[in-house]
Amino acid sequence: MSSNDASKKLAGMGTDMVGQIKAGDGPTFETVLRTKSNTLFDESVGCLRTGDKKETRKFLSMAQARTFMQTVAVASRTRQFLKENLHTSIRGLFYQLKFSLGEDIDEDLFTEQSESNGLIEDLEVALKIKREDLNLTTDRKGFVAGPMTILDRFGGDETLIDLEKQGRSGWSIPSDVDNGMEIKSLDADYVLVVEKDALWQRLNEDKFWKKENCLLVTPKGQSTRGTRRLLRKLADKKLPVYCLMDCDAWGWYIYWTIKTGSMNLAYLGRDFAVPEARFLGVTMKDIDEFEFLQKLTIKAKDVDVKRAEEMLGYPWINRHKEWVGELKAVLKTRKKIEQDALQGQRLTFVGEYINKKIKNKEWLP
Amino acid sequence: MAEDAFKQFREHSVAEFFKKNRQMLGFSGKVRSLTMIVHEFATNSLDACEEAGILPDLFVQVEELGDDYYRLTIRDNGPGIPKSHLGKALGQMLAGTKFHRYIQQRGQQGIGASACVMFSYLTTGQPTKAISICKGKKLTANISMDFKTNKPIMEELGEEDVAEGSGLTVIAEFKDVRYEKSNYGVYEYLRRTALANPHCAITLIEPTGDQFVFPRSVSINPPRPFEIKPHPLGIATHDLLEFSKVNKENRKISAFLQNEFSRVSAAKVEELRSLVPEVNFDKDPKSLEWQEAEKIVKAFGQVKWIAPATDSLVPIGREQIELSFRNIFNPDVLIVTERSPKVYRGGIPFMIEVGIAYGGGLVSAGKKGEVMRFSNRVPLLFDTGGCAITETIKAMDWGRYDLKDFDEEPVAVLVNLVSVHVPYTSAGKQAISNEEDVMEEIKLAIMEASRGVQKFISGKRRAHDIATKKKLIGRYVQQLSKDLASLSGEKSDKIEAQLVKIIEEKYSGPEGLVGEDTPAPEKETGGSEDEGGAEE
Repeated sequence: MSSNDASKKLAGMGTDMVGQIKAGDGPTFETVLRTKSNTLFDESVGCLRTGDKKETRKFLSMAQARTFMQTVAVASRTRQFLKENLHTSIRGLFYQLKFSLGEDIDEDLFTEQSESNGLIEDLEVALKIKREDLNLTTDRKGFVAGPMTILDRFGGDETLIDLEKQGRSGWSIPSDVDNGMEIKSLDADYVLVVEKDALWQRLNEDKFWKKENCLLVTPKGQSTRGTRRLLRKLADKKLPVYCLMDCDAWGWYIYWTIKTGSMNLAYLGRDFAVPEARFLGVTMKDIDEFEFLQKLTIKAKDVDVKRAEEMLGYPWINRHKEWVGELKAVLKTRKKIEQDALQGQRLTFVGEYINKKIKNKEWLP
Repeated sequence: MAEDAFKQFREHSVAEFFKKNRQMLGFSGKVRSLTMIVHEFATNSLDACEEAGILPDLFVQVEELGDDYYRLTIRDNGPGIPKSHLGKALGQMLAGTKFHRYIQQRGQQGIGASACVMFSYLTTGQPTKAISICKGKKLTANISMDFKTNKPIMEELGEEDVAEGSGLTVIAEFKDVRYEKSNYGVYEYLRRTALANPHCAITLIEPTGDQFVFPRSVSINPPRPFEIKPHPLGIATHDLLEFSKVNKENRKISAFLQNEFSRVSAAKVEELRSLVPEVNFDKDPKSLEWQEAEKIVKAFGQVKWIAPATDSLVPIGREQIELSFRNIFNPDVLIVTERSPKVYRGGIPFMIEVGIAYGGGLVSAGKKGEVMRFSNRVPLLFDTGGCAITETIKAMDWGRYDLKDFDEEPVAVLVNLVSVHVPYTSAGKQAISNEEDVMEEIKLAIMEASRGVQKFISGKRRAHDIATKKKLIGRYVQQLSKDLASLSGEKSDKIEAQLVKIIEEKYSGPEGLVGEDTPAPEKETGGSEDEGGAEE
């Protein structure tokens, strides 16, 4: 979406409300209900998305008046950002809007940054735009290296970035990979996502991405919106996406967020989900297969057990018998294993492990 | 009991007895003692006025003479006391007391005016000065008493003719008492007396010289209560036996029951006959024996009786309470119940009146969660804790009536228990005992009144809510208009003017709230762990 489109949508929202006021009505806007009850799994796409339940936000409501005013203020202010072609974080926006409502009013437009989160989501849903389209940046966390070049138009410059030439640190995935960013060339066979930065550094040192001709990505834990968006775009280029995570609650959660999206951001739907993603490991089955791993397991914590039980209850997970088997094994053995354990025998074992898994199609869906 | 106490006067020195038993007679505590004294004289005055058909005008003055040393002047416009009775009425213990069992009366409390005269004499050595204007004569006398003989001593007698007027003035000095403007003091006692006796006008001059007038709210005396026949359910075996012995008019038990008890008809007598066939209802009542009386009383309990006659009960009355409440508090809302008489212990008629006042003058007077207890119109100021009225009010779920913080709300609750026989907890006669039937009725009456008050409060809150809402939303109009102007390109002040107009129209009345209870946006419930942080 171009910044012009977003700007038009914001202006249209304002014009609609002024129209309501002219007709003698209190201003309102419609958004989609973002609750667990209105979150569903879209079978056809394979991701979580919000249902059809709509909600109307009203200015003439005691409970909503303040938020309503704040939402419109955010709309108005971000439209300014778009006009000026400047980016800021939600925190920056918060400081832009943290001022008194008037001389005789003992109240600020915003007092806490947390107030703004919900209403930015409201705007995203109501206008069908992403916060990135509003020039709102988020913190970066993920890294990537491999055979891809990117044209970055930023701050008045155009920079061509070669992801093979990022040395030991890799390219830091920006918060917005859509606006002002273009994939110029892509010559990878697949994408490998490893949960931890440590393992990424290990594989990067081995030039794993060069040997295997893949894109090596780490979200460094839970994926940012930018990382998820990038993975989606790469999947759209028909690259398979393989994930290597810890065999524990956190690892599973990171994987399923990449694959189906999260409950929290279900309203983002397919744009932020990669249903094609595959789970290479580490799996409970690996423990049986590789003898040295048996000594490297850790006792599963309550949170792991609880998460496993929860996952068994999700229809989009328990439809895969492989996952049911995996999770039941966790519940039975009460064990878990970290991806770092793969280095237990030899540092270079990880690469062999990955190749073997991909070659033999030993993955969980 | 006070009655028992008086019997002993003949055997001991009255003064000695009094000194030893002050507490028992109600003279405990300096503040309470003064209130008790005012109570004794005031009830006598009110009773006398009502009996003579005069609308009472009561004047009370308290002057401070020294430490815990006061002069009390009480003047009424009653019929006065004739010379022949004046000494007896004020200077002889037990002289005027009447303990009728089946009549509603004020005088059930307390110990009589003569005890106050004695109290004065004992603490100050001064006689009580009485001025009685009665039947064209103005009589003055200094009254004290001879403790040994329990005889009044009248000195400095004066008598002159007067053209008009009537009334009694009593001037007495007391030590060991204290005037205090607390919930137990004279002021509060008189204020509440005025509240429960709207036909009275009361003036009080405090030691400070401040004068308070509690005006008359209604100009008709309440009807006089009268004596009633006992109801079968209120009778014990020994009562029945005793009545049968003193009976003279009836020659048969059947006739005796029918004529001397209320609600006993010929048909009911036949019913009793069939219940206790072994008792001969045709014999002379005088020959009734204990066992037979016992059986009859037992049979009383098995028959379905019409409730006892309750016309002997004289409530204050709804209109009267309303009028006096308005005069004294001028509240925003006032609900007074009008409930029918009930019976406790199976045969003792009683009636509960409840008035609840809220807001208005109560706010300016700083009154919060005030409970005013009365029995037969007499304020009960002491022994709050153990009283059935207090306990019932404490146990109420005030939240149901939008009075959650009862003790902090500008609310006053009046409860008057009317009965020929008030179930006091003790000889102090300041608290109602926890009779189940009485408590239940108090509860129902309070609930009834509370519902009315709640309607008002919720209405008032609604109006308040609308105002709050208007104000709250109003705060955001300017900012919203600015941003809408920026988004739409229209003029900010124009948008603002239109918005203000919409809000004015929408929140112009209580109907503005209908269908407006939109909840705040629902909080996101899905997801878990710290994903949010990672995605910011």
